[in-house]
Amino acid sequence: MPVVEIENLTKDFSVGFWRKRPVRALDGLNLEVHRGEIFGFLGPNGAGKSTTIKLLMHLLHPTSGDARILGEPVSKVSMHQKIGYLPENPYFYDYLTPAELLTYAGRLFGMRGAPLAKKVEGLLESVGLSHARNLQLRKFSKGMIQRIGIAQAIINDPEVVFLDEPMSGLDPLGRMEVRRIITSLKSSGVTVFFSSHILPDVEALCDRIAILNRGRLQEMGTLDQILKTRFEGHEAVLSGVTPEALDYIRKWCDEVWSMGDRLHVRIGARDNFGALIAFAFEHKLELVSVNPIRPSLEEYFQSAVGSRQPAVAAFGG
Amino acid sequence: MRRILTIARNTFRENVRDKILYNLILFALVMIFSSIALGQLTLGNEEKVILDLGIAAISIFGMLIAIFIGIGLVYKELEKRTAFALLAKPVHRYELILGKYLGLLFTLLVNLSVMTAGLELALLYNGNASGWAYVRILPAVYMVFLSLAVTTALALLFSTFSTPALSALFTFFLWIAGHFGRDLLSFGELAKSAPVQWLCRAVYYALPNLGNFDIIDSRSVLQTVGYSRPIDPVAVAGSTAYCILYCGALVALAVFVFMRRDFK
Amino acid sequence: MKRRSLKQHLFWFGAFLVCAALVKPLQDRIEARQEDPGEPDILFFSSPSIVKRMALSYDSLVADLYWMRTIQYYGRRDEADKRPVRYKNLARLLDITTTLDPGLLDAYRTGSSFLAEPDPIGAGQPEEALKLLDKGIREHPQEWRLRHDKGFIYYWHLKDYKAAGDIWKETSALPGAPMWLSPLAAMSLSKGGAIEVAIALWRHQYEESDRETVKENARNHLLSIEVARDIWSLDLLTEKYREETGAYPRSLEEAVRGRKGYRIVDPLGTPYMYNPATGAASLSPDSTVRYLHVPEIYRESLAIEPQ
Repeated sequence: MPVVEIENLTKDFSVGFWRKRPVRALDGLNLEVHRGEIFGFLGPNGAGKSTTIKLLMHLLHPTSGDARILGEPVSKVSMHQKIGYLPENPYFYDYLTPAELLTYAGRLFGMRGAPLAKKVEGLLESVGLSHARNLQLRKFSKGMIQRIGIAQAIINDPEVVFLDEPMSGLDPLGRMEVRRIITSLKSSGVTVFFSSHILPDVEALCDRIAILNRGRLQEMGTLDQILKTRFEGHEAVLSGVTPEALDYIRKWCDEVWSMGDRLHVRIGARDNFGALIAFAFEHKLELVSVNPIRPSLEEYFQSAVGSRQPAVAAFGG
Repeated sequence: MRRILTIARNTFRENVRDKILYNLILFALVMIFSSIALGQLTLGNEEKVILDLGIAAISIFGMLIAIFIGIGLVYKELEKRTAFALLAKPVHRYELILGKYLGLLFTLLVNLSVMTAGLELALLYNGNASGWAYVRILPAVYMVFLSLAVTTALALLFSTFSTPALSALFTFFLWIAGHFGRDLLSFGELAKSAPVQWLCRAVYYALPNLGNFDIIDSRSVLQTVGYSRPIDPVAVAGSTAYCILYCGALVALAVFVFMRRDFK
Repeated sequence: MKRRSLKQHLFWFGAFLVCAALVKPLQDRIEARQEDPGEPDILFFSSPSIVKRMALSYDSLVADLYWMRTIQYYGRRDEADKRPVRYKNLARLLDITTTLDPGLLDAYRTGSSFLAEPDPIGAGQPEEALKLLDKGIREHPQEWRLRHDKGFIYYWHLKDYKAAGDIWKETSALPGAPMWLSPLAAMSLSKGGAIEVAIALWRHQYEESDRETVKENARNHLLSIEVARDIWSLDLLTEKYREETGAYPRSLEEAVRGRKGYRIVDPLGTPYMYNPATGAASLSPDSTVRYLHVPEIYRESLAIEPQ
């Protein structure tokens, strides 16, 4: 059974004071998240990512459509016992310490006493905040807030966590930390659903992704599935190429350049690529490496989404 | 139930660490102690002045605390999005509202205790009041607490859907209107037209009738010859019942509004 | 909207409705129990000038407030039987009201009326009433009504017929003064103490005041004068009867048999009570007439001499 099922989810907002015009923030979203995977939710600003997550958390009421988490409707409060959530740009109570915050969160899950205290200590340790356990939260840096945010999201050992822009505003070290936490979550069997617009992270972490644009789902699937559709050929590196061989090779290749004693070629058409391989074999040229060319997620994103939104903001936080 | 108490406790902790609270309490205490000086002007009636001013100070500053903290109760949670993380836990929306309300009530109780202690000290310094007067201050402060419970419920209700500035304004306005409800009724009776009268009556009942909590004053506390007014337990019970009903209505409405909201 | 959340919505809205609906009956119960809201202790600041300063620029509004509270407390005459009304503060309340808003004519007029009337209808302080009216006259020298009221107080409460007549005489010269002031003044100066003047006074007040309580008061005075006439006349009659027959009549019907012009029923329909042992007639306790004291000096002019 999928961990998250979203069926035809639509959300309209009424905007305007007198004459209310409905603005469709989310349009007929269909989506499934499977157990144990890291699911990335991408899209430019205003695409509807946060709206989707808030609908899942029942912070917003859907206009139409259905959503279920762990088989239960999202309106069922008791289901929240098994999930965790980190909001976008989180903020926690100024005057509490992280230990107090985690204890508060734990109590709301029904934990108490010594087991709770132990859990709190363990969590602080695992997110690297033990040194700050008695510092009031208003003195925390953004990265520290993010980490305590994740801690409060997982204190109940949830089956699935929802992270809304967990990397936003973090420096590279901070992002690495969060990445580490996410991968360790996955290895404990937790399903992770997170939204982001930091593409390298998504590329590195996610099993499957969905791309949202202007409230509509544009693509969904594994990275390979998405990017494979835009096959652009192969790139090969050869060494020991004689100038005569080079002349031959040139006619198959779109691009040729040498680096040191190595020759890099780029071949678009499959047939040409086949010919090159056969040629290399015959003439005992050394094939150092062969790679299919696919656009980076960033490039794909830019073309898929950027083309329809000429003013799309730069990615990467 | 436990979750409500957990939220209440956390609210209390947040409030107690907020500096504005201390400033207000300080002002209240200053006012109470300056009543000693003012009392000298009345030649022989110092206790009355100390009590009247003291209870008034506790009432007004209590009201300010209730408003300042109350209006932010829900609004702050929503604006700062702490409510989001909260509601993603197995917490019902009504538990959040009830928890915040109880937490603020408890904060008020603690503040009132501090201010009452100050009042008792001022009275002690003056030294003229009889022993029982010190005990009878408590029912007087209890009535103030009841009126503050109503004020807080008002602030809570507004903070579920309005900005802090507007909430403060509305709550303050209603607090004043609540003291002049009877006059509105008189005005209605003086007016000759029946629809106006009916309207005035309807508004009178809808307004928080803070006059119900004015039944214990310095006369009731001091109980000296020629200047006394009995403390009527039935009237106190009546006022308590009114407070519970009125606050119940406001809190239920607040929960209802809060449940229906989208949190953008 | 899912069914479960609909149930929750209904529950909380229902809770609100239930609480709100119970507020009114509870409030009514609370008020019913409150016998005495207490004389307005708003005289915490008893000096008009202090109040004026504290009212900032809202003088008129605060005056209205004071005035409303005053009327609220003192004006509920129907309840004056049920609760003792204390008039200790009335003069000062009126002073504050009229200092805050000197234009409140009503405050001078109705206020002085309350001040002058004897306990329990009013404060029984005619001198204070005069002071108040004088204050009003200083503010509104051309207003004939205030002067008329002043004369009234001299006439009825202080029995100073000359002073009353003098005041009315000069008042009749003011613009807008009614025609009946001049003859009234003359009557007072010449026949001061005559019941006709009193009756005329009350009748004028009844006819021309637009304040319910004042009208009511005037009407009661007029009715009381009729009652006094009836009873004093009956007393004279029963005395005469005794002189003639050696004993008081056994009933009032017997006393008035064959005579014209006597009433044995009060102006509102309740029969007078009669004590055959003493020959004294009196107003029945069941009577709906609110009897206000009629001074003895009018007995002679009111009572009908039996033939």
